[in-house]
Amino acid sequence: MASVKLEGIRKSYGAVEVVKGIDLEVADKELVVLVGPSGCGKSTTLRMIAGLESITAGTLTIGDRTVNGLPPRERDIAMVFQDYALYPHKTVYENMAFGLKVRNHPRHEIDSRVKQAAETLGIAHLLDRKPSQLSGGQRQRVAMGRAIVRRPQVFLFDEPLSNLDAKLRGQVRTEIKKLHQDIAATIIYVTHDQVEAMTLADRIVVMRNGEIEQLGTPDDVYNTPATMFVASFIGAPAMNFLSATVSGGHARLAEGGRVPLGALAAILSDGDKVKVGIRPEHFLEESNGDCTVTGTVQVVEPLGADTLVHFTVGGETMTARVAAQTRPAPGTRVTLGCDPARIHIFDPVSERAYRPQAAQERHGSMAVEA
Amino acid sequence: MSGAVHSALRLKQRRDWASFMDPSDRALAFWLLAPTAILLLLIIVYPVGRLVWTSLHNLSLTSGLPAEFVGLENFEIMLDDPIFWAALWNTVLITIITVPGALLVGLGLALLANLPFRYRWPVRLSLLVPWALPLSFVGLIFAWFFQSQYGVVNDILMRFGLPRIIWFNSPEWSFTAICLAIIWKTSSFVGLILLAGLQTIPRSLYEAADVDGAGRLRQFFEITLPLLKPAIVVALIFRTITALQTFDIPYTMTRGGPGTSTATLAMYIHQNTVSFLDLGYGSALAVAMFVLSMGVTVIYLRMMGKGH
Repeated sequence: MASVKLEGIRKSYGAVEVVKGIDLEVADKELVVLVGPSGCGKSTTLRMIAGLESITAGTLTIGDRTVNGLPPRERDIAMVFQDYALYPHKTVYENMAFGLKVRNHPRHEIDSRVKQAAETLGIAHLLDRKPSQLSGGQRQRVAMGRAIVRRPQVFLFDEPLSNLDAKLRGQVRTEIKKLHQDIAATIIYVTHDQVEAMTLADRIVVMRNGEIEQLGTPDDVYNTPATMFVASFIGAPAMNFLSATVSGGHARLAEGGRVPLGALAAILSDGDKVKVGIRPEHFLEESNGDCTVTGTVQVVEPLGADTLVHFTVGGETMTARVAAQTRPAPGTRVTLGCDPARIHIFDPVSERAYRPQAAQERHGSMAVEA
Repeated sequence: MSGAVHSALRLKQRRDWASFMDPSDRALAFWLLAPTAILLLLIIVYPVGRLVWTSLHNLSLTSGLPAEFVGLENFEIMLDDPIFWAALWNTVLITIITVPGALLVGLGLALLANLPFRYRWPVRLSLLVPWALPLSFVGLIFAWFFQSQYGVVNDILMRFGLPRIIWFNSPEWSFTAICLAIIWKTSSFVGLILLAGLQTIPRSLYEAADVDGAGRLRQFFEITLPLLKPAIVVALIFRTITALQTFDIPYTMTRGGPGTSTATLAMYIHQNTVSFLDLGYGSALAVAMFVLSMGVTVIYLRMMGKGH
């Protein structure tokens, strides 16, 4: 296994720059997830690491080798493709053995590695089948098996679950996590699904418009999002944003609501416009006096385990996740509370999060610098 | 899962059969199929039947005699006819040489046209041009190319210090010239079919092979060629059937000469029916060609069936 280091990696197609200088260090045996909306450059970045796209500028290091000019086969990586890219005319066994056969491994070694990987993935009974005779989930496992048998330095996953149905996706996701624990491999994983990113990653790289928006552990990006974009992208349903004006240590909302600014009061002055971010799951059903959000109920969605209440505050739509038995009638006024420790305050112009002085030092340049 | 699909399919088949047996639906089906059936009868079954019938008669327009039923006599004559055997051999030889030849050149052209050119249309257009040219036109162009005094081929040979060849005086060189012309003319058609086949192969397979460590040559033999097999079979069927019917190019280039060295079966049929007006014997020869074409088609279709 090996570490992967990207320094100032850029990619342009003619005049269009799609990756605008990525700096990232993936440690040995770490699972890093690149996540972002389509067109953010995450797949292009992965394909540059694989060697399937040329690198316009920057340095890419795998282990202790600079691999910028090397073709994919000399980079000692394995990749799982979105459409699996299984050879349709070869059996499962031949698909998995191909990479080893090409590299002239002895036959008995190929055989034992393929069978071992097939056992691990639970596809040993499928080795004689052709890909067309397999279900989506089985093909996905074969694609992973083909990567595993190679025992490469780095595994690359390009949206490997996006062609599976929701139930299977959850199941295979768990398997990938277990696989990572078992084989302790360096994995770079691309997805547009924030749930996959949160559940799998040691660290998450949130990308937007070809740049890294935030880099951190799943807890970091969830609890202390650096920007409104990250805040709305990570977490489902997405974080609510409310326009507010600073006054007397509070952010005053429309319709008489208010949110305490806490330590941030020191760096904001009265009359400043801010955006208040509250996650649906961080509303409290009882106002605790200091933090109140008042609005009009629009739609109520019971989910069994809990209930989603959609309501409007001064024309802005909000969602709150409340207890299952709470079912306010549409059209009624509700007043909810919130946990002051879980409030996020953003600059409405730069869309960056304000951090108390101590926090700013800890989270470094991400939160404040443009 | 698949069991449920199967039983649903069986149920659907049963329902289809039931509706087919419904008298009103059967009448409708009959009327809907009738125009096509009549058309096929008129343009295929009747002429072929008429051909077979004529082949069983002694019918020569130069003799002035009425058609006389002679049974298989025309076929007996055919089996003793050295020109028939020469023409048949030439036809088979042209097929054996030009079909694989066109396949190889066509594959090369298809691979070339499939490269990521910035402008694709000039490449595609140049692939289309030989296919779009009339056969007899190609024959005339190549007759000029191989012309011994002014032809471009001899010019090139002499520039390399090689002796000039009088192409159309020797049976072997004539045959070679004709085969080259046929390969040039037909490989673009094969190339088009194979290009369509190449474009159905997903790019990610090559990327996976890149990552797996396979070089270009290995990718060609392990991915391209196996996945191109269905397109190759289709190209082979079309090309073989038309090769067995070769007429225009040798007719315009050599008229079958010198002697009968480049005469094909189609040319011999043409000579008997159009030049000698011996419709009975000409029809017998045509029946032989029909049987040959059908035989080859059946063999290929069997091969394709096994492939599936």
